[in-house]
Amino acid sequence: MRSNWWLKIAAVATVAVGMMSGSAFADDAGFSLKAKPKIAIIMYGAKNDGGWTQAFEEARERMEKDLGMKIAYVENVDENAAKITPPVEKFIKKGYNIIIGTAFGYSDTFLALSKKYPDVAFLNGSGTTNGPNLQAFYGRTYESQYLCGMVAGAMSKTGKLGFVGANPYGVVNWTVNGFEMGAKLSNPKATTTAIFIGTWADPVKERAAAEALIDGGADVIGQHVDTPTPQIVAQERGVYGTGHHRDLSEFAPKATLCSSVWYWDRYLTPEIKKIMAGGWKPNPYGAFPTIKEGPTDIILNKNLVPADVVTKVMAERQALIDGKEIYAGPIVDVNGKEQVSAGKVLDDAGLWKMDWYVPGVITQK
Amino acid sequence: MNELFINWIANTPGYAAPYALAALGLILCERAGVLNLTAEGIMLVGALSGVGATLTMGGYPQLAIIIAMIMASLVSTLFATMTVLLRVNQVIAGLAMVFFCQGLTALLGNLFEWKNQPITGIGRIDVWPLSEIPVIGHIFFSQDLIVFLIIPIFYLVNRVLTRSMVGLRLRAVGESPEASDAAGINVTAYRFLTVMAGSALVGLAGAYISVASTKIWVDGVTAGRGWIALALVIFARWRPWRALLGALLFGAIESAMPRIAAAGIKVPQYFMLMLPYVVTLGVMIWVAWSKRGGATDEPGALGQPHVREERR
Repeated sequence: MRSNWWLKIAAVATVAVGMMSGSAFADDAGFSLKAKPKIAIIMYGAKNDGGWTQAFEEARERMEKDLGMKIAYVENVDENAAKITPPVEKFIKKGYNIIIGTAFGYSDTFLALSKKYPDVAFLNGSGTTNGPNLQAFYGRTYESQYLCGMVAGAMSKTGKLGFVGANPYGVVNWTVNGFEMGAKLSNPKATTTAIFIGTWADPVKERAAAEALIDGGADVIGQHVDTPTPQIVAQERGVYGTGHHRDLSEFAPKATLCSSVWYWDRYLTPEIKKIMAGGWKPNPYGAFPTIKEGPTDIILNKNLVPADVVTKVMAERQALIDGKEIYAGPIVDVNGKEQVSAGKVLDDAGLWKMDWYVPGVITQK
Repeated sequence: MNELFINWIANTPGYAAPYALAALGLILCERAGVLNLTAEGIMLVGALSGVGATLTMGGYPQLAIIIAMIMASLVSTLFATMTVLLRVNQVIAGLAMVFFCQGLTALLGNLFEWKNQPITGIGRIDVWPLSEIPVIGHIFFSQDLIVFLIIPIFYLVNRVLTRSMVGLRLRAVGESPEASDAAGINVTAYRFLTVMAGSALVGLAGAYISVASTKIWVDGVTAGRGWIALALVIFARWRPWRALLGALLFGAIESAMPRIAAAGIKVPQYFMLMLPYVVTLGVMIWVAWSKRGGATDEPGALGQPHVREERR
């Protein structure tokens, strides 16, 4: 009898808790669109910026074909609420219910908008905020930059590689480390000298950095900044380079060996199909797809890179697709401190806050 | 280490050139009494025109630079009309011009598809056989055309400003437009034409950035260098040669930053990035400090619109 009484209380309590957290039940059902899907992209830069935004524009064109619908867009939307909110609300008023953002600085505004418009699905590239109808997404660029590093290491005669980066925080640091680890695969003695110019797009500073690296003996220049300037300098000075964002060989056909590129449609098209199917559950930590899912990849300039290097790089690419982890322990940093212990893989939190460099990376830090 | 030092010194003039030319253009305007805050915008006009003209003509970068100077001069007539003819507040007109030029250049760059198009631009000229002299050859005789022309340009502008009748009148207009007016100088014409001439030099600074330095146009390619030129004017206390000295100082810092990083010398990243602005602030404080007591070099009527027979 006694045990039965306890059981009854437990049952009542469970129901009560369940009723109180009614919204939790709704979340469990996921997000579903209330009307027929209409997609709009809010672009951070100009659609022909040659880099980050143009990659989204190219994805948009492919998505229109794959999804069989028009996708609206607006360009040059700065990273502040006063610039972001009006176009988004205008789209929503016209019946658009899948809004795709393209900037880190949209994060807070998109979170506020997603709460205000619970029937609209929000996605935000390089964002940091998530919710029941909002999902940030980014790509594991260290994988594609690791492959670029392999090419750079194989093509360098001096073993001295240069890298022009924007700011020394997680997303850039993991590409610098990935680049160096890839280079070591081809040439165990390869070093990467990284210069952070403190901004994403200042061709004067990018040129200064690339020239300083080449004067210092670097003969392949990698990059994680927004303009193709480092590639152009490499071509002028008769050395090689590796690009970022898009295939930069169009700017420096004699210098750009390969580029770490975005194929956003490979992530967005399946994700939008999931939203359209109903019951969409955004990842509470944002989507962070790998090279296997495909939003990041490498494009090789086969006019410059010999076939045996291409074969090796493509084999390593396949290994990554098959599940090889780049940040698998043991990894010690340049100061000899263990950052990832043996048998462990660096988790996403560790990636985002990465503030250390692997041996072989030369920086001011 | 030695090579690092030589490369640093040899690269300094290239980074100093836009600061020097823009500051010289601004000094000219301000000596005539027009407070010119448009540098950042006019430099963008010069930079876009330089790339646009090169792409349109399929080369001829030297000619493109001259076209850029003319375009900068033409756009500046808008500022001159506002400040000299309509006597709008010069600070507000100047700031408005910067925002206007930022928008205009971004728009036209997109419209004509001049963005992200690499150009050959102008390159280094080796003055053989002088360029073969060790150390000195690399520093002094292996620069681009505009850098070689900077000293003559400064000499010429300084000469006109201080040793000619035109210069005397120009300075008189900047010191006391009323007295100049009474003496029969056409204040409006002097100011209007000086703004155009000064802006041509500012446009040259912008064209140097895009045609000689980056060899590519992207939105906002000048990245705030116009504002540093503006600070240099105060640093130089409206004297051309001092502006050249200040420009070399900034060029040396900008050229040193990536080289120190490339050499792997451990200096905190953001300290280096902050340095030019710390120097700017330091110089302003020093100027304000040393101005106490002695006479100021600031043109007497700087920023004041001239209205004939108006009482102040």
